[in-house]
Order: sequence, then C-alpha cells, then structure tokens
Amino acid sequence: MDRSSTKKSTDQSSTRNNPGQAATGAETQHLSNSGIPIKEVYTPADTADVDYDKDVGLPGEPPYTRGVYRSMYRGQLWTIRRLSGFNTPEDSNKLYREEYALGQTGLAVAPDISTCVGMDCDDPRVSADVGHSGVPLCSIEDMETLLDGLPIERVSTYLAEKHGILTAMYFAVAEARGLDIAQLRGTTANCMLAWTVLNLPNQTPPQAYLRYAVDFIEWCSEHAPKWYPISFDSYNSRDLGLNAWQELGILFATTVDYIEEEKRRGRVPLDRFVRRFSFNTAAHNDFFEEIAKLRAARRMWSKIVRERYGIEDPRCGQFRVHVQSSGSTHTTQEPYNNLIRIAYQVLAGVLGGAQSIHANGYDEGVCLPTDQSMLLSIRTEQILQFETGVTNTIDPLGGSWYMESLTNELEKHAWEYMQKIEDMGGMARAIASGWVHNEYKNATIERASKTASGEIPIVGVNKFRLEKEPYRVPIFRPDPQSPQVQIEKLKRLRERRDSARVAQSLEKLEEATRRGDNVMPATIEAVKAYATLGEIANVQLRVYGEWPFPISG
Amino acid sequence: MTEKKIRILMAKPGLEGHWVGLLVVSRALRDAGYEVIYGGNMRPEMIADTAVQEDVDVVGLSILSANYMQLVPETIEELRKRGKGDVSVLLGGIIFQEDIDQLKQAGVAGIFPSGTPLGDIVDFVRKTVRQPV
Repeated sequence: MDRSSTKKSTDQSSTRNNPGQAATGAETQHLSNSGIPIKEVYTPADTADVDYDKDVGLPGEPPYTRGVYRSMYRGQLWTIRRLSGFNTPEDSNKLYREEYALGQTGLAVAPDISTCVGMDCDDPRVSADVGHSGVPLCSIEDMETLLDGLPIERVSTYLAEKHGILTAMYFAVAEARGLDIAQLRGTTANCMLAWTVLNLPNQTPPQAYLRYAVDFIEWCSEHAPKWYPISFDSYNSRDLGLNAWQELGILFATTVDYIEEEKRRGRVPLDRFVRRFSFNTAAHNDFFEEIAKLRAARRMWSKIVRERYGIEDPRCGQFRVHVQSSGSTHTTQEPYNNLIRIAYQVLAGVLGGAQSIHANGYDEGVCLPTDQSMLLSIRTEQILQFETGVTNTIDPLGGSWYMESLTNELEKHAWEYMQKIEDMGGMARAIASGWVHNEYKNATIERASKTASGEIPIVGVNKFRLEKEPYRVPIFRPDPQSPQVQIEKLKRLRERRDSARVAQSLEKLEEATRRGDNVMPATIEAVKAYATLGEIANVQLRVYGEWPFPISG
Repeated sequence: MTEKKIRILMAKPGLEGHWVGLLVVSRALRDAGYEVIYGGNMRPEMIADTAVQEDVDVVGLSILSANYMQLVPETIEELRKRGKGDVSVLLGGIIFQEDIDQLKQAGVAGIFPSGTPLGDIVDFVRKTVRQPV
C-alpha cells in the first residue's frame, strides 16, 4: 500500500504549484499518510454501520474509544514528560530539578547510548559516546546522584531502559531513602520493539527481551503495583517509516507475545499481569489520522483484553498512552519550522486523548535540546493546557463522520497487519527472522525516494527550499569532559567495593537466569552490591548471546 | 574490457543506533553504479581494516551524534596507519556548520548534512573520485 501523504494526480506539477486550484476532478485521489483513500466530504452514510454504544460509547467505559477515563482532562491534565538526560548524572540531576521547577509533572530518564547497550563508561568501546544522547548510569551510585533532592515519592518517573537493570537501581535507591516501593509511581520502557530497531552492538535476541520483560512485569505485579512495568513502544518503528495502522499492528502483536508468554508460565493471573500495561506511540504528521489512530488503539486494546483474553477488570482494558512528536518529521533545515510541526503533533495527541506527552525540542534534528528549546517544549504543552480551551470537553472530534470512519479504517487495517505477524509466530519471531526489519528497510527506501522526487513534500527541504539557510539556531554540545569524569568515578567505585560480594551476586544472577527463575531479586541484589551495569549486562549476554542486526545493506 | 568500478565502504563509527541515512545513501550510490560495501555499525579500527581488505576508494561515514569531532579524525588516523590515507572520506549526518572547516582540515573530502539531496552526494563522487585502474 502506498504510504505517502500526498495527492495522487495525473497532473502532479499543476496541483503542486497551485495548491488552491482544483486538479482535474475525478483523477485526483487524496490519501492519508498511511495510504487510506480520503473522500472529499463525509456524510452520515459513512458511519451508518457504527453502533454508538458498542463501538464508541462514553469515555471511561469499554471499548474506551472516546477516552480511558470518565472525566479525562477535566479530571487530570496529561502529564508533561520530556525524555532528557546528558553529560553526567550530576548535570542531568540539575536539569531534572529545573524541569520540575518549570512545572514538568513527570521525570523521564534517557540513558546515554553506552548505558543503553550495557557498556560501562570505562569500556574502551564507548569513549566517544559517554554522555551523548543521554545520561550515563553505570552503577547505583550514579542513580543516587541522578535522583538527589528529587521527590521521587511524589513525581512519576519514566526509565527508557531494557531488562530492568536501571529500574532495579532506582528501586534500590528508593528503598535506601526509606520509601515504600509499593507506593512508587513510574514506568519502565522494557519493550523489544523500541530497542531492536536500532543498529547497536551488544544486543540480546528478541527472546531475551521477552523473558526479562515478563520477569519484570511479574515482579512488579507483586512488589510495585503502582509502577507501569512496561511501555509497549512503537515510536521508533513509526519513525522508521511504518504507517499508522502498521504501528498499531506491531504494537498489539507485541502485547500478545508478552501475554502468551505469561500464559505459558502461569505464575501470575492474567488480569494482574496486564493491569499496568502502558503504551508509547508517535504523533506523526497527518493530523486527523493520528487522532483516529489513538481512538482505534483504545478500541483494539479493549477488545484484545475483554474478548480475546476474557479479562473483565476495567483497568486492564484501558489503553494508557504516552505520545511523542515524531522526530523523523523534524528537519535540520530552518529548525524553527519544527516548533510548528511539534505543536500540531502535540495537539493531535491531546485531541486523541493521550495520558502523557513529550513535545520534542525544535532542535531535535540538530542536537540535544538547549535550555531554550527545552523551555519551549514545556510551554508548547502548557499553552495547550491552559490557553486554548481544548481540554474543555472529551473527544471533541467523536461523532464526526470523517473521524469515526477513519478510526474504523485504521482499526480494520491494523487487525490485518497484526494477524499477519501472529501467523508468523508472533512479534519476537517476526523480529528474529528479519521480517520486521525488512518492512522498516522497504519503508525507509520508499520514503527516501518519494522525498527525493518531491512526492512527499517537506517544507524548507524539498519544497520552497531556500538556497542558503536563512538562520542558525543555538547548538547544544555535550561536555567533552564527561567521559573522564565518569571513568574516574567508576574507577574509585571498583576499588572501594567488596569485589567478592560483587562476584558472588553476579554468579547468583547467572544461576537464576539459567534456571529460569525470575531475575529481579538477583538483579536488585547485584546492584546493591555495586555490580555495574556492564557487569550485569554481560551476564545477560553470556546467557543469551549477541544478536546480529538483521539489516546488512 | 570492463572498467573497474569505484568501491565504497559505508559505515557508522561509534555506538549510536540510527541507520536510515547510511542505508539510504548506500542505496543511492549502488543505484548510481558504484560497488557499495555496507558495513553498518563499526569501530574506527574495523572500518580501516575493512577498507584495506575490500580495497575501497571511498569511505562514507554517517554520524548523528555530536561525537564526530572525535570519531572522524580517529577513523582517518586508522586509515593512514594502514597506508589507506588516500581514500576519499565522506561524512553525512548531523554536522554543525561551524565544524565543517575543521573536519575538512582533518581530511574529510565531502560533508553532507542531513537533508542533502541524494543526487548531490552521487554527483560529488562522480566528480571527485578517480576511476581506479
């Protein structure tokens, strides 16, 4: 299916040059960003088969099409949550305190890439990357520094990590502060989709993602019931070119993998297992389609939980979603244009009923956010919350013939795509076989060629491009001293800690992993013994091996 | 007699996991008739080793993290150490305008910040890289 967001016309040049002028009538086909044909006008006939009570209903009631909570933003505004982190735990701590003071209501920890791949700062392979694109966190000491002075008993924290190591550190720090883990609020990313799309060294295979995440969900269901133990995350996949319904298809195919794994294990009742599932999607360019996507997603999740798994607990069927403006739509040319793109995308997230939103920095395509762009992101969301009136009523587009019809179309295509993946044996297998990456690859190549031809218009890049960049924006550069600072701290830690206790804790972790026990207790013991992130990740790699990235040109 | 084709190694030094730019430029160069070796994510020494083994004429690097000021000179140094200092090194990704002079001094032949039309990159190779004999 055609994924472009363009008009298809037999006379492309004339429509492009004269957007206001009608093209040659019947030959013009308008497609959504996901290739769904869009009519010139919608009428009641387009929603004739919609049963309001069954398919739409009231917010807070299954199938939750209009919103997961009864009062939505009138009861509680969405959380403003920007993923951030840079340089060192010290500098990032300062940043988080500033964000909190500005009224950001949730923290979101972006680890740097060396932390993401499970390498310590003193690993010779990482020197150039420490403190780039996130905060390095090598041990519980770094986590203590990162959280210093922050009221983690009051804020909710998102940790962009995999396999639960950083969350183990977070919980251990909370425990040392005398806090009750059962009361902590936050989210651990933990989704195989988000990580396996990246071409990174030290990757564990998809099956390992499944194992560690399911262990973590089981553990949280008992010990941290207010924590969201997983955020099923299609953001990166969307940014790699999948369209809106493909995004929903892979998202829900992934949830089914996790539920089926727990069903096989039988350790935790399914209603408790899925109660705290949460989601993370992109907000892309096609405004109405993105709103319809979130509406369709809510209905689909409710159906999966109630109809497929027979789970009646209403909390389980609520599609609670964090939305982030789509980085791949942001340009390095004329970066201020991104402010406008981001505002529209965030508005789509709001009209789509998201629980939490990250407005990217306008400089997303240039560097990590500067202080100024960070401030603008937060203000973008606050202006929507307090000035525009968009929160006054719930699901304001519900009942629009176009919106309801588009929601139905997206749902239909998404079920088909999901079925295709299930027919392959589920998401983990579809990743392991390289099929999903082939989808990414094809989508990427297609997008590039359509961008080159102008079929996908990007203002300031391939449309109305200026010969010379009209302005420059301030640039953020990571501190080149960060790697050295981190390496020295880690060296001192390695000298100071009880190495016998470290070795023993890692041995116990490896045994638990190989035996098939839930790894969380042993992981928490290891971080408390000051085992480093790299040492724990190495246990995971020893057990599961390194997964070769399936794209090779 | 068939002409020997220009050989290009495309790689990403450092850890960062973006791959779209590398793949898309690799395809464009392959479509333009060049022999492209897709290296993916590699450390600078590996890039240099592969450049020698594959006897390439061009090394294309893609970096979207601000660490190119360290990784690019490192890669060029590794190439020189192996007697491969004569290859044409191209750099794409997120590259700040004010760093371009310094990168060129370090030996980068062509710099193509994200958003550069693919045709410009192909043209650059066509105009500046000599046909191997």
